[in-house]
Amino acid sequence: MNIYIQELKMSVKSLIYWTFGMLLALMFFMLLFPAISQDAALMNQLISKFPPELTRALGLTTLDLSMALGFYGYLFLFILLIGSVYAMKSGMSVLSEEIRAKTADFLLSKPISRNTIVTAKIMSVLSLLVLQTVFYIIGAFIVVNLTTNQLFDRTTFLLINLSLLLVQLFFAALGLLLSVIVRKIKTVLPIALGIVFGFYVLQMLNQSLTDSNLAYITPFAYFDISKIVATGAYESNYLIINTFMILGFTILTYIIYNKKDMPSI
Amino acid sequence: MNVIEIINLCKFYGKSRGIIDVSFNVEEGEVFGFIGPNGAGKSTTIRTLLSLIYPTSGSAKIFGMDCIKEGREIRQHIGYLPSEVFYYDNMKVIDLLKYSASFYLNSDKNRIYELAAIMDLDLNRKIDDLSYGNKKKVGIVQGLLHRPKLIILDEPTGGLDPLMQNRFFDLIHEEKEKGTTVLFSSHILSEVQKICTRVGIIKEGKMIRVEDIKTLEHTNYKKFKIEMKEAIPAEYFNINGISNLDVKEKAATFIFNGDINKIVEKLYERKVSNLIVEEPSLEEIFLHYYDKEA
Repeated sequence: MNIYIQELKMSVKSLIYWTFGMLLALMFFMLLFPAISQDAALMNQLISKFPPELTRALGLTTLDLSMALGFYGYLFLFILLIGSVYAMKSGMSVLSEEIRAKTADFLLSKPISRNTIVTAKIMSVLSLLVLQTVFYIIGAFIVVNLTTNQLFDRTTFLLINLSLLLVQLFFAALGLLLSVIVRKIKTVLPIALGIVFGFYVLQMLNQSLTDSNLAYITPFAYFDISKIVATGAYESNYLIINTFMILGFTILTYIIYNKKDMPSI
Repeated sequence: MNVIEIINLCKFYGKSRGIIDVSFNVEEGEVFGFIGPNGAGKSTTIRTLLSLIYPTSGSAKIFGMDCIKEGREIRQHIGYLPSEVFYYDNMKVIDLLKYSASFYLNSDKNRIYELAAIMDLDLNRKIDDLSYGNKKKVGIVQGLLHRPKLIILDEPTGGLDPLMQNRFFDLIHEEKEKGTTVLFSSHILSEVQKICTRVGIIKEGKMIRVEDIKTLEHTNYKKFKIEMKEAIPAEYFNINGISNLDVKEKAATFIFNGDINKIVEKLYERKVSNLIVEEPSLEEIFLHYYDKEA
């Protein structure tokens, strides 16, 4: 419990910054909505002139930008990217930070097992991500209501936003695993950015090529916003894959961390 | 009873050598000096005892329990001061010490204040603002606050001024009187000689010998650097106990083991322009004491 609290204390500031950043980005995009929805016919016409591969890659085929949820669903991608980078960064740094700050000797010479450390740290990241999702959803609900007077389906809205947490869990777990595989990570953020954008490029390829095999490797494909908007539900096979990926990464993290030699100072 | 029991402990980092076949015991209540030059494997041995790293082969037991399997229970009763101290920069000293205490069953908040007073440590400063020596003091308090049965010190005096070193040695003495076992690693023989009952000497990953401090007390190595007004005859320092003699015209350096008065008398015969007497490094003692027998 003491490690969990210590961890939360150290990460609360960055949680506030990132969540605030996500809401700010959302606010900026949503302010464009009244203008775009008015000229939606023009917009849709413009988009239809794009090469079909490009519109697919951008995920613009099925989303109707004149509808509040359609527009929100489209720009949600950017929020998802920011949130994913935050999750990956948190997952990657939570265990490796002790090695980077050279405090691993302090923590690991205490009468606790390595499993206790991993559990406490995972719980802290989980708490951060859940907190972020809650704050983000409340904030997003207010922002969307302020910028549009359209009625929209709240369940679908919630489903779109909850996919943030589910994708974040994937990246956090992947980050954890990478952080225990690599002996010593010097900087976290550039690696997190690179990996998240790498997965996003895969998703663009997946949408453009409509190759169903690619969809299994990138979490961005697991929760296809246009499908959520259309059906009001997640696709269960992808939900299961996501869950297994997260569990797999986490279990491997425990196993590897237990065997790891702490680098000497 | 043996508090520490190390049997044929080996650690390789990939292909590079950590320690090879290290075996020794530390008995309950003794202060055991663990000596060797930098890179000899002292920290590797200590880090294995704390299961910060895992041995390639061999075994280590503390309080009769296996270091790896029962590490958690063992560490409840170990106080560890690493050679380089690093803590969470954003924390205040007192918060860090309380955090450290929260891991132990028998920690006592008063002990923090007591130790901080002895070591003259300001508890309200941020870790980030502390000098190296002050961080070391945090390390000392952190290592002792839960009244451990075994204290492991890895080159503890680096960065401490002589006054603080003395207070630190007093603290360790007090612990020794209470029956606490101490494993004291150092590369300075004279530092360890003051407080230890036995010393183990490690070199290039191998334990070369474990010796009673009384045996070593007969040896009193001093390193002399002398400059004279006139050229020194080659056979001038032909005295029993001198080794590593190097005479270059007016200057001479050598290591002497024995009654210093002999040298003083010898120097009295001539005009000396400069004279330095210092503790030889451990390497130098190795060269002239242990290599002879190896």
